[in-house]
Amino acid sequence: MAFRDRLLATISAARPVLEEPGVLVVGSEVPNLLEPGAAATLVVSQDLDVGVPVSCHAAVKRHLAEMLVGFQPSPKEPSVWTPRSPDLLEVNFVGIDPSRDPADAYVLEDDQLPLLVFGALSLVKAGAEIALAGTRVRVPRPAGLMLEKLVTDRTGEKGDRDLLVALGLLMTAGPADLDEFDAAYATLRPELCHAVRSNLTVLSLLEPRTGMPDPRPRRAAVAAVLRRLEQLEGGAA
Amino acid sequence: MTPSLERRVAELRARMLVRSWEYRQRHHARGVWFRLRRVLADASAAFVIPPDEAAKLVAEGYRVEPVGQALEPPKSIVFAPADRVARIASARAVPVRLGRELLEAEHLVLTPFEPTC
Repeated sequence: MAFRDRLLATISAARPVLEEPGVLVVGSEVPNLLEPGAAATLVVSQDLDVGVPVSCHAAVKRHLAEMLVGFQPSPKEPSVWTPRSPDLLEVNFVGIDPSRDPADAYVLEDDQLPLLVFGALSLVKAGAEIALAGTRVRVPRPAGLMLEKLVTDRTGEKGDRDLLVALGLLMTAGPADLDEFDAAYATLRPELCHAVRSNLTVLSLLEPRTGMPDPRPRRAAVAAVLRRLEQLEGGAA
Repeated sequence: MTPSLERRVAELRARMLVRSWEYRQRHHARGVWFRLRRVLADASAAFVIPPDEAAKLVAEGYRVEPVGQALEPPKSIVFAPADRVARIASARAVPVRLGRELLEAEHLVLTPFEPTC
């Protein structure tokens, strides 16, 4: 079964949760879903990240029983729901707390659905609602998702691929998205601004990866973003 | 209590501590890698050149990037326009990344991206 088909089947099977107001699909599958026809050409991990605002946690829990047809909670990592069929992907629940510092994280303890709440996801704002596999899926606005990808500490192969996901978002961002990105960047404290710019320099020097956007022809655009962000900070070092 | 999630939070916080420490180091020796990447990010291409050609560029007024002197062994890193670099017959292009060829070079000339409107 093709990856795209598995992705769409997962969305369909997770419909009760995904259609709960406030819930967002986050993570590296978002650019895959935003491709024309949700073509899903980027090679990323085989899971679907479901962002649950902590204010929606109770409402999401009420729908979990409906998910048991397709998934079961992992005994070792209960925020991960593993598929009962190879035609589905894992569902990875993560917490969103807009009040949290982007560099922080905490565990929202719960017997049924504990969540690892990533502070960086506080930068993500709800964006377009798209219809996929008979399901209304809410995705983040590009600016916040780009910033979340760039502010997060990245290491190893996954880290490089996450940066290339950010590049893919950057390449499809319109002027209004970039203005929003700049405005959100300007709210970050200096250490996090530095982290964003540091990740952009890493992105600028990455080698191509299979199934991901080639960063080499985009290096001038990345350099332009770096210069713009430095100007926002008055020539930050 | 969810041990696996608590462990991930602890790991994430540990990485944040290291990153904060690296941030405080940014103007010191350890910060050289960010500064080097930042310089390279502005380069459309990189070339290894002989010492005499590097000296000529400096004599012509092209600025030596300080970050090169913060490495051991030190390197001279100079930005010059592509048409000037094209006149250096012995210039050897190397990939613009932190790879062996670039890191082994003692004298590098970088070409800037063309300005865009």
